[in-house]
Amino acid sequence: RMPKLERLDEEDGDRSRRRPSRKQPPRAERVAGRRGAQPSQKERAEGSPRPGSPRRKQAEHQRLREDLGKPGRSSTKRTCEGRRKRDGRASLKEQRQRAPPKKEKEALRKETRKRPKKHRSPSLASSTSGGESLSEEELARILEQLEDKKKLIANMRNKPWPMAKKLRELREAQEFVEKYEGALGKGKGKRLYAYRMLVAKKWVKFKRDFDNFKTQCIPWEMKIKDIESHFGSSVASYFIFLRWMYGVNLVLFGLIFGLVIIPEVLMGVPYGSIPRKTVPRAEEEKAMDFSVLWDFEGYIKYSALFYGYYNNQRTIGWLRYRLPMAYFMVGVSVFGYSLMIVIRSMASNTQGSASEGENANFTFSFKMFTSWDYLIGNSETADNKYASITTSFKESIVDEQESNKEENIHLTRFLRVLANFLIICCLCGSGYLIYFVVKRSQEFSKMQNVSWYERNEVEIVMSLLGMFCPPLFETIATLENYHPRIGLKWQLGRIFALFLGNLYTFLLALMDDVHLKLSNEETIKNITHWTLFNYYNSSGWNESVPRPPLHPADVPRGSCWETAVGIEFMRLTVSDMLVTYITILLGDFLRACFVRFMNYCWCWDLEAGFPSYAEFDISGNVLGLIFNQGMIWMGSFYAPGLVGINVLRLLTSMYFQCWAVMSSNVPHERVFKASRSSNFYMGLLLLVLFLSLLPVAYTIMSLPPSFDCGPFSGKNRMYDVIQETIENDFPTFLGKIFAFLANPGLIIPAILLMFLAIYYLNSVSKSLSRANAQLRKKIQALREVEKSHKSVTGRTTGRDSEDTAQGTSQNATQLPLTKEGMTPHSASQTQTPDKKAEDPGTFGSASGTTLPASQGLSVARPTGFRPDSGHARPQTHPWRSASGKSAQRSPH
Amino acid sequence: MGSRGSHAARIPDADSIRRETGFSQASLLRLYHRFRALDRNKKGYLSRMDLQQIGALAVNPLGDRIIDSFFPDGNLRVDFPGFVRVLAHFRPVDDDDSSMRDPKEPEPLNSRMNKLRFAFQLYDLDRDGKISRHEMLQVLRLMVGVQVTEEQLESIADRTVQEADEDGDGAVSFLEFTKEMLWCPACIFSLGCAGVVCSQHMGVNCTEGFHLCFQ
Repeated sequence: RMPKLERLDEEDGDRSRRRPSRKQPPRAERVAGRRGAQPSQKERAEGSPRPGSPRRKQAEHQRLREDLGKPGRSSTKRTCEGRRKRDGRASLKEQRQRAPPKKEKEALRKETRKRPKKHRSPSLASSTSGGESLSEEELARILEQLEDKKKLIANMRNKPWPMAKKLRELREAQEFVEKYEGALGKGKGKRLYAYRMLVAKKWVKFKRDFDNFKTQCIPWEMKIKDIESHFGSSVASYFIFLRWMYGVNLVLFGLIFGLVIIPEVLMGVPYGSIPRKTVPRAEEEKAMDFSVLWDFEGYIKYSALFYGYYNNQRTIGWLRYRLPMAYFMVGVSVFGYSLMIVIRSMASNTQGSASEGENANFTFSFKMFTSWDYLIGNSETADNKYASITTSFKESIVDEQESNKEENIHLTRFLRVLANFLIICCLCGSGYLIYFVVKRSQEFSKMQNVSWYERNEVEIVMSLLGMFCPPLFETIATLENYHPRIGLKWQLGRIFALFLGNLYTFLLALMDDVHLKLSNEETIKNITHWTLFNYYNSSGWNESVPRPPLHPADVPRGSCWETAVGIEFMRLTVSDMLVTYITILLGDFLRACFVRFMNYCWCWDLEAGFPSYAEFDISGNVLGLIFNQGMIWMGSFYAPGLVGINVLRLLTSMYFQCWAVMSSNVPHERVFKASRSSNFYMGLLLLVLFLSLLPVAYTIMSLPPSFDCGPFSGKNRMYDVIQETIENDFPTFLGKIFAFLANPGLIIPAILLMFLAIYYLNSVSKSLSRANAQLRKKIQALREVEKSHKSVTGRTTGRDSEDTAQGTSQNATQLPLTKEGMTPHSASQTQTPDKKAEDPGTFGSASGTTLPASQGLSVARPTGFRPDSGHARPQTHPWRSASGKSAQRSPH
Repeated sequence: MGSRGSHAARIPDADSIRRETGFSQASLLRLYHRFRALDRNKKGYLSRMDLQQIGALAVNPLGDRIIDSFFPDGNLRVDFPGFVRVLAHFRPVDDDDSSMRDPKEPEPLNSRMNKLRFAFQLYDLDRDGKISRHEMLQVLRLMVGVQVTEEQLESIADRTVQEADEDGDGAVSFLEFTKEMLWCPACIFSLGCAGVVCSQHMGVNCTEGFHLCFQ
């Protein structure tokens, strides 16, 4: 505290004449100093171009330092005894003080010139904002400077300078004037200036806060990061995919609910007014039973969730909303939007992955030197970071081991063929089983009283297959001995085939059902007409009073195959969801509980031994998600409410699975990195989207809609609604244009043109990627060459060092000096110009360019820099052998 | 009004420090407050213990290394100029093109090279100008703990050396380190965060752009 007090006194003495009221509590002082950005007055003062001022300043400095020196110097000496840097600095001070004033002035001029630029950096900009804290002396000085600058601007023409310099000086002077005029209460005014600075500062702060806010708004980001740090990027990729899917479904949900369901509920004919919106008399008494509702029969079947509820009125409500048209367009745009978004995200993934790869040279170095995030300040986050660093290292190790694995090719090949054979057998078997079950269920559906099992046989069998086949495949896949990432792809492909088979068998069965219903439709139609005819024409009714219309519940009606299809998809989705959750609960959570708590009283180690904890099943979950989405796409046309159910499902599944993973799963034994582009998932999704588009398109294009339910009833085909709209609602010339556009003579050339464009773009991208690969190879080769060259010279110098011990020792004496000069702590480096001159190239060349050429760096290096390279040589282990060792010895 | 000025003036050697490090008066003042807050017994210098009480450094696996960098030559105490000098590495790089600068003038502490040098020293435990395999192993042990087997750690270290080593001496020298880091600007940035923590917890607000920002 001593020096500070002295300083205070000294200051007091110095300034008392200007500021009589210096009695302020030190606390306030501190606060003020903290809050207000302090202007760098001294700096500014130093830069004054007045000839007299530097010398005066110098003197002041000297005086101050001497005052300080008495108590302060001893401690300084104590702490820095024997430090050459310190001495160097001290000597520099003296040098500076003794320096001729001319040189001093030059330096100061330079500083002045540089200053306006410096002020752009935020730290300094904030410091200037505290304009009111300028002392009067400073004010006067700046004022003077300002005058100088203004004079300079005025006299610029007469100066014998080159044009470029004139322009530069002029610009700087103008900048300076603008900057300080405001601060000094001249020009536009001090208040305005302060206000502007305040706004600028607040704006910067706001932007930063907003960025933080945006990051916080990404849903589940923290959860996913948490999982990633413990389970690796592969598991996290599933959750990211799930989140993406949730987003897509939200959009679809908005589309369908906003344009179809809500208009119908608000403006459509209310429930019970027409036959299609009423529960038939026969079902009425059981329509509210839970068992019936659970099967989506009863009241749910006759609700806006399903196709059959919608009326074929062309317009509804006072808005004259064209509901059938909207229904059709939404059905189409669900697919359109999904296609677009999938393809777009695939494209953006490819772009991201193209720029990666190039750092493959330094994977480990970067992990090693740059993985710790130094912003982490709390211990929980730090733990997560530890886990994630460990995980990422493990991922890289797996990659390395895999690339260095030597193997018996014939055995591997044989095993792979065998595994594929087994899996194809499994797939065929399961396909046949499903076909068999579907046939049986069609027979059951004709019978009257069937048990619960017989009714739900198809769903049960499919769920069981979905539950047991993937683990079976996984077991078989261990024969193949692939890298886990490639293994995952195979696994995904196989389960995909399994699910696809299931799906298509299911669809074919459904189609059979639909055709059956369609063939019955004609007779039902006749019955309906006959009933109505009889009802109105029956005798025994007073002819004068018109008969009230038949109660809608009594009207006989068709089977409405669209609703039946929708119900099938709805059931499948719900049962799929339940099976997934139950599997997680039983297979993961209960198992984990059992292993954890029974371990205390069991004969063997449960945690390390047989049951152990479950790993997260990436492939199964991803495919479950993808197929579920396929169901949604297929079913949403016939059951608009399906998307709502799916949104709920995805939401619950996000929380549930996050919880399950963190609570009851263990990381994979071989944690592997997810492939950079998650395009494999997206590719599968695209395939499923396409496959689910086919049946829907088929039904829309070639099946006649039911005669008494749905928005398209009474039309020959569903797409007739477009034609109708064009004819009735658009002006005739637009109709003509549409007809013209639909002409095959126009469509075929357009398709051809598209193909040509695709071909051209494809070839361009191929050639570009080839060029890219070549460049990368070139860089790699260059590095290799440089490396080998370096190592050769290193070896020779090592040999030479024995011969020329004298010369090396001479070098060695210089060496510490050079090194000293490079350390950042050495004040000498920053202070003494003479020392700097010893190695002028080292920093000047390297720091000047952002990406220094390798020559620039290597030139600066003294040849004898590494006298011990001869010793170090035997220590180097080539990676190949070491990793081979570790691969053999590693526990798994 | 002028009270701040006088307060700033109480910092010993303020002018020369500022000239050397390029800190503005306000930041210097803030640093001074922080320095005195860390200095618990008002002894005028900081000891290792004083720095270890900073929370973020305690959880940082390289925290000890960062603290070490304040005590360059085996000293046990760091005074205010030394403290500021270390922190000066974290100022953003000045955008002045180097042609404007006098080549005779010393390189500022916040130049790219000096920043890299600082980061390098975090890993160079024995300060011999190169990061050896042994040093890497030590740092790795700090970073990943016991969850990775020793062989795996060794293979990581070997691999790192192999990647970076150009002259075959089995260690990463500063030049090799520099070259390596220049391959990946994003990585350098994360490396750069080393500074933020120091400056943040030593009292310099990170919003003022104090980090080892290389870009």
